Amino acid sequence: MSENLNHSEFLTRREFMAMMATAGISVGVATALSEVDVLRDLIEQEVKIDLQGAIEEEEMYGGHGPSGKHRWGMVINLSKCIGCQYCVYACQAVNNVTDDMRWNVYKPDVTETGIEFHMTRPCLHCQDAPCTTVCPVQATYVREDGIVIMDYDICIGCRYCQVACPYGARSFNWKQRLEDSGYQEEWGSAEVDIRPRGVPEKCTFCVHRIDRGLPQGLVPGIDPQATPACVNICPVDARIFGDLNDPNSPVSQAIANNPTFRLREDLGTEPNVYYIPPEGMAI
Amino acid sequence: MIRAIRNEYYRSPVFILWVGLLSLMLVVGLIAGIIVLLNGLDVTNLTNQVPWGLWITVDLSSIALGAGAFSLSAMVYIFRVERLRPIARIAVFTGLIGYTGAMLALFMDIGRPERFWHPMVYWNVHSVLWEITMCVMLYSTVLILEFAPVLFESRLITRFFPNAPRLGHTIHKFAPIGAVIGLGLSLLHQSSLGATYGVLVARPIWFKPSLPVMFILSAVAAGVTFVLGITVLYENIVRRRQISVQVRNSLGVVAGIVLALYLYLNLWDFLATSYYSHLPARVESIELLNRFAPYGATYWLVEILLGALIPVVILLVPSLRKRDGLVMAAMVFVIAGIVVNRWNVTLSGLIVPMDWSPGVAEIFSVNAYRPSWIEWGVGLGVLGYILMAYTLGLRFLPLYGADHHEEVVEPEPENPGSPEHAAATA
Repeated sequence: MSENLNHSEFLTRREFMAMMATAGISVGVATALSEVDVLRDLIEQEVKIDLQGAIEEEEMYGGHGPSGKHRWGMVINLSKCIGCQYCVYACQAVNNVTDDMRWNVYKPDVTETGIEFHMTRPCLHCQDAPCTTVCPVQATYVREDGIVIMDYDICIGCRYCQVACPYGARSFNWKQRLEDSGYQEEWGSAEVDIRPRGVPEKCTFCVHRIDRGLPQGLVPGIDPQATPACVNICPVDARIFGDLNDPNSPVSQAIANNPTFRLREDLGTEPNVYYIPPEGMAI
Repeated sequence: MIRAIRNEYYRSPVFILWVGLLSLMLVVGLIAGIIVLLNGLDVTNLTNQVPWGLWITVDLSSIALGAGAFSLSAMVYIFRVERLRPIARIAVFTGLIGYTGAMLALFMDIGRPERFWHPMVYWNVHSVLWEITMCVMLYSTVLILEFAPVLFESRLITRFFPNAPRLGHTIHKFAPIGAVIGLGLSLLHQSSLGATYGVLVARPIWFKPSLPVMFILSAVAAGVTFVLGITVLYENIVRRRQISVQVRNSLGVVAGIVLALYLYLNLWDFLATSYYSHLPARVESIELLNRFAPYGATYWLVEILLGALIPVVILLVPSLRKRDGLVMAAMVFVIAGIVVNRWNVTLSGLIVPMDWSPGVAEIFSVNAYRPSWIEWGVGLGVLGYILMAYTLGLRFLPLYGADHHEEVVEPEPENPGSPEHAAATA
């Protein structure tokens, strides 16, 4: 079996020159074009338009994304916190959360200089929340007012949000709970239903209070009926709540007048919870 | 005559014992599954720190082993490698079993199994898991269509619907289109299964662009090796060759080259993340893993040496490839490698705690996970389903042989009686 080596014609000298010239000129033109400012701006602008389009699309998709009038946020003053854990218990009473599923956790911690301080962590309500982007069914999303919330009726219970959250702020309902968390007698009555089996749950910034309070003219962060339980209970005012979009709100004022940081800012999650550092911590 | 021998074989005590064992596994799986559905995931040892475990490993391994279907379909129907046509059917069958097995495991794993269809209605185009769910569901449909002609040709169907093969023939005309769609869907989701882990910035041991590529390469290599291995195994059970030496060589070379590519990528993944660079978070993660789990040992010994390096040699060296025992050993090693890899990838990111605190106190303990008996039970059930499907499929369906639509005529054996008969009467 001999192979046919003469399957097509060779280039003529003229064709060869023309081809090389065309290729060379193409490279030259492409390089030159990328130096033209107008074109650069155009491409850059198109990228911008794309981004804008993506944001708009997201909004059309059910009004998600922190673009609303309010943006609810919290400031936790670690230099004031005394570690009493009242915020933990009040949350467990009002939101009916058991000990092994705490939405708001407390950890004793120590600064690099060896000074002990008290660390607490609710859900940070990230504006670019990793838990919401990974959800295959949009059962968890960032509301227009910045609150990251769960739709227990859509969730399929895959737990990818738990895996994706950099702060471990989500707990899963491994079984059907029947009884209250047991904190109601001492710390206040339960205001929300027990979550069903097979879905995760998390801190909601006591969204039921905000949603009920706003139409009544109450101001979350100032009127206790519209403010998260953990903020109301704090005996030393280490937790402040309010509208980050309003420069006169308690949170905006606290951020303006104190050094603050957010947890794992390097991850780009843009949390709505700010911390005032404890004594002995440089930021 | 051959049928008489076959029947004798399939009524042998060993075969009955085997089917009995598989039935037992299925019963165990069924009971465990019912317990899970009644009591929820509380019966697992999964926690809020380690929410994924054995079932995710089963699901990922099963999907990876099903990757032979799209790889070989693409080679046969798109790239027209005519030589491989005789294994197109067993490849598609392997895919069908792998994907249904994976879906069984996933169905048990999600907290609200009755809502398994939600991703099709409530879209989140930003979620890699949504993309996977859609691709897996669409691709399973493709697999069913690709497999329908085989089913329509079997005596089980033709006995009642004599015209079924003609319908199968019509469906089969679209096989090239199915192969193109299947190729796209499979490349996407087999890779994004790796991206599921690779996109999570908060887990330094996961967050890397190599994971999607390593997942697709390991899946193709394992899937093709699996088709080859299961064929050689079947040949040895029925004492009769099903594929030619040429087909066997092609499968071995394809699997071996892809596995070698995977090995090369693994090498550079290791070099880039652990040798030439020292991201503190990643270095600490690996130190923790090695201190609390046999992570490094299983990676080097099972994933790399046993699961890739040795099979590459067996599959690519002609004198080794022609030995049935070694080919089957290669299949076992590759399966072990892929299962351990999927387990290690899943658990490594979860065992290492995430440190979100601004302080320096060690307040986050290293997480631990050991599957519960119920989890093992469900895993055993899925394995039982896969093995039972193969046993019944190879027994009742025309999975090998010419890719046409008349009844496959079994040629008389050249040397009637001797090996087959010996095996059957033994």
